[in-house]
Amino acid sequence: MSVGERYDAVIVGSGAGGGMAALVLASKGLRVLMLEAGRHYDPYTETQMLAPNRTAPLRGESTPDKEFGFFDATVDGGWQVPGEPYSSAPGSKFMWWRSRMLGGRTNHWARNSFRMGPYDFKPRTRDGLGVDWPIAYEDIAPWYDRTETLVGVYGRNDGLENHPDSSPGVLHDPPAPRVGELFIQAACRDLNIPCVPARRAVLTRPIDNRSACYYASGCGRGCSIGAAFQTTTSLLPMALATGNLTIVTDAMVYELHLNGKGKADGVAYIDKKTGKQQSANGRAVVLAASAGETARILLNSKSAAFPDGAANSSGQVGRNLMDTVGAAMGAQFPLLENRPHYNEDGAMGLHLYIPFWLYKEQARGELDFPRSYHYELGATGRGEPGMTMGNLADFAGGYGKKLKEDVRRYYGSFLSFTCRGEMIPNTDSYCEIDPETKDTWGIPTLRFHFKWSEHELNMVRHFQNATKEIIDRLGGIVDWGDQSAEDAISEGGQIIHEVGTTRMGDDPKSSVTNQYGQSWDIDNLFVTDGGVFASKAHKNPTLTIMTLAWRSSEYLAEQLGKRAL
Amino acid sequence: MTDERDQGLRVDRRTTIKWLAATMAAGYAGCTPDDKRLGDEIPAARETTLLGTAAGPGTAGYGTDPDLINPVVPWARTMTEVQLRTTAALSDLILPEDGRSPSASAVGVPEFIDEWVSAPYPQQRDDRVRILAGLEWLEQQSRDRFGTAFADAGEDQQSALVDAIAYPDTAANLEEPAEFFRRFRYLTVGAFYSTEAGIEDAGYIGNVPVAGPYPGPSDEAMAHLGGVLKQLGLSLPT
Repeated sequence: MSVGERYDAVIVGSGAGGGMAALVLASKGLRVLMLEAGRHYDPYTETQMLAPNRTAPLRGESTPDKEFGFFDATVDGGWQVPGEPYSSAPGSKFMWWRSRMLGGRTNHWARNSFRMGPYDFKPRTRDGLGVDWPIAYEDIAPWYDRTETLVGVYGRNDGLENHPDSSPGVLHDPPAPRVGELFIQAACRDLNIPCVPARRAVLTRPIDNRSACYYASGCGRGCSIGAAFQTTTSLLPMALATGNLTIVTDAMVYELHLNGKGKADGVAYIDKKTGKQQSANGRAVVLAASAGETARILLNSKSAAFPDGAANSSGQVGRNLMDTVGAAMGAQFPLLENRPHYNEDGAMGLHLYIPFWLYKEQARGELDFPRSYHYELGATGRGEPGMTMGNLADFAGGYGKKLKEDVRRYYGSFLSFTCRGEMIPNTDSYCEIDPETKDTWGIPTLRFHFKWSEHELNMVRHFQNATKEIIDRLGGIVDWGDQSAEDAISEGGQIIHEVGTTRMGDDPKSSVTNQYGQSWDIDNLFVTDGGVFASKAHKNPTLTIMTLAWRSSEYLAEQLGKRAL
Repeated sequence: MTDERDQGLRVDRRTTIKWLAATMAAGYAGCTPDDKRLGDEIPAARETTLLGTAAGPGTAGYGTDPDLINPVVPWARTMTEVQLRTTAALSDLILPEDGRSPSASAVGVPEFIDEWVSAPYPQQRDDRVRILAGLEWLEQQSRDRFGTAFADAGEDQQSALVDAIAYPDTAANLEEPAEFFRRFRYLTVGAFYSTEAGIEDAGYIGNVPVAGPYPGPSDEAMAHLGGVLKQLGLSLPT
C-alpha cells in the first residue's frame, strides 16, 4: 500500500534533525511528509510541569518503565523499547536510548547547547587522529547564529579558545549563578580554571508564542510553556503552519526504496497501529531517525546495486560509532552545611559550567590525552527533596531526632562534578545488523560493538585529578566517584550522544555523505541526524545536529528547485 | 523485561530463605556481649512467621506510557496489618516528631514503604526481600529479648535493638540486619522529606513559577557565601 501522494521530500524522524529539515523545506513551499516511529505527542496537554514527585508512583523514582523517572517526558522509550530489542557483541556493552514519540529525544534532553569550535572541525589536523570534517568552523558559524536565534539559547560570549562567541544579540541573558556555582567558581578562579555561564536551549525572553523560563519544573519533564526547546513546541508547529507538512506517527520505517536509476524513491514502513506494510514516495528522502536507526535502515536496504546496504559503497555505514565520554565525582562541603535557604531551582540545569581550558598545554604536548572535555556542575545542592534524601541519612548515620537535625544540616552541602569528553572514533566501535534477531515487526535489529581507548581513559584520569583539586580547595570531602578510570567511565551510549555512523567527508571512499549530508552514492538521499558527525567533540551534539540540518536542508531545497537531483 | 522480573521473584524466595536461615544460625564469634545475646536468643527455627505473610507483590507496572497528569499506582499494597504496625514503629523511631515536623507515620511513610515493597520492578523486589525479612528479624529480637512485639516495646527497648544495626561499626554477624536497616532508613527518609511537611522541614522553597529574570541567591545567602569564601582565602567572583 502507498500513502499515494508523491511528496517533494520524505523525512524519517521528528527529533532535532528531522524537525529542522521539515521546517526549512516546508517553509520553502516544498511538500513534505514526516514519518515518526512513535506516537503523536502533545506537550501542551501531556507535560506534568509542577506536580511534586510525591504525587507519582514510587515518589517518581526511576523504574524500567520510566528510566529517567515517572514524570520524564519519554514515551515508550528508554534503554529498552518493548518489542524492539538490540544487542551488544560479546565483550562489548552499548546502551541505546530511544524515545518513541513525536519530537523524539528533544522532548527531554538537558538542553545544553555548546558550539563546536575551529579545533573541533579539524581534529586530525591538530593531533593526527580520527578524521577532519569537510567543513571548517567558518563555514558553519553563520548557521549556528541562525539556529541559536530560532531555537533560543541562553549564555554569554566569553571569547574563549575553541569556544566560539555568537554574533551580538543572538544569545539570551544567562540566569544568575547560584550559591553552589559561585562557590565552585571562586575556587576555579584561584586555580586558573574558567567557570563561565553555560549555554542552554532555554528561553530567558519570550520568542513567538514560547514563554520565557519561569524557573521551576525539571526540563526533562518537557516544557509546556515552550521555554525549554523541543521540536514539538517550536519547529514542528511552525512547519505545520505552512500547510506543507504532513506528519504520520506510528510509522516504523525499515527500508529505503530505490528506483531503476538507483535513486531514492521513498521508504517502506510498518504502520504500528495496524501492523501493515506501507510505503511513502518522494523526490528526495531525508533520514533523521538517529545515528543508530538511520544506519539500521540503510544496512537493512540491500539490493543488487548495494549488497552491503544502501549508500554504503564506502563500507562506512554503521562504523565510527562514538558517544560522549562520561564520568563524575561528588563531594560534601562542611562549609556549606546549614547555609541560608532561598529558591535555587533556577533554570533547572546548568547556569555555570567549566569549558576545557588546557588547549595550549595540550598543543605543547604536556597532556597525555589529545582531546578535550568540559564540566557540568551539579551545583544546585537543594533540589526538590525526593528519595535521594535517603543518601543524607546514609551519610549522617544513626536515627531519631539527631537524624532530623543532620538531614537539615547536610541538605545543600553536596555538589557534583560531571565530565563530558570527546571520544576519538576507533575501529572497535560500530553497529551492524544482528543476523539472529528481528524486532516485533520483523525488522532485523542492531548489534553494537564498543570500546574506549587509552585516549578517553587518560582524559577521565585528568578530570578526576582536576576535580579533586577543586574539591580540596573548597575544603570538601570526596563522597563518591573516586575510582579507577576504567570503573568511572560511562558505558558506550550511556550519555545518549551517539553519532558518526554515516559520517560526512571529502572522499566517497571513506565517508557516507558529503558536507551537506548528501549520500555520495544516492544523490537524492540526505542524512540530517548525528550520524553525519565526523568527530564527536565534547560539546553536546543537538545544537550542531540542528545547525547542520538547516544548512543541508537549504542545499537540498536548492537542488530540488533546480530539478538537479 | 518480563524475564528479569520472573528471575527477580525466584531470587526473592531463595534470598529470603537464605537470609532468614543465616539470621537464625549460630556462629557469633568476635561479637560484643550485647550482640552475642541478640543472636543467641534467636530460636533455632520457626515454622511460622510472627508478622504474617504479605500477599504476593504486583505483577503489572504502570507501563511505558502512563498518564502523567493523573498518576495512579496500579499495584495493590501487600503488607499485613502487623507488618505495617512494625513499619510504623520503626519509621517513627528513625524520624520521630520534633518541634519542626511530625513523625514519619503521621505523614504516611509506612503506607509508602508498603507501596514500594509491593511494586513489580526489580529494585523494589530486591527491597521487598530485605525489608520483609528484616522486619521479621526485628520482631523476633523484640519478642525473644523483651517478650513483646517490637511495635509495643518501649522506646528504650526499640533503641537497644536498633543501636546494634544503625551505626557503621555493626558487628560482622549483623551485616544483613544492618543492611536492612540502612535500606529501610533510606526509604523512610526519602519518603518523609518528599512530603509537604518534610519539604517544609528541609527548607526547600522552589517549584514555584517566578516571573521575570531569575533573582539568584538572597542577600543573606550571598553574605553567608562571602563569609565561607573568606575562611578559604577566596573571594566572591565579580
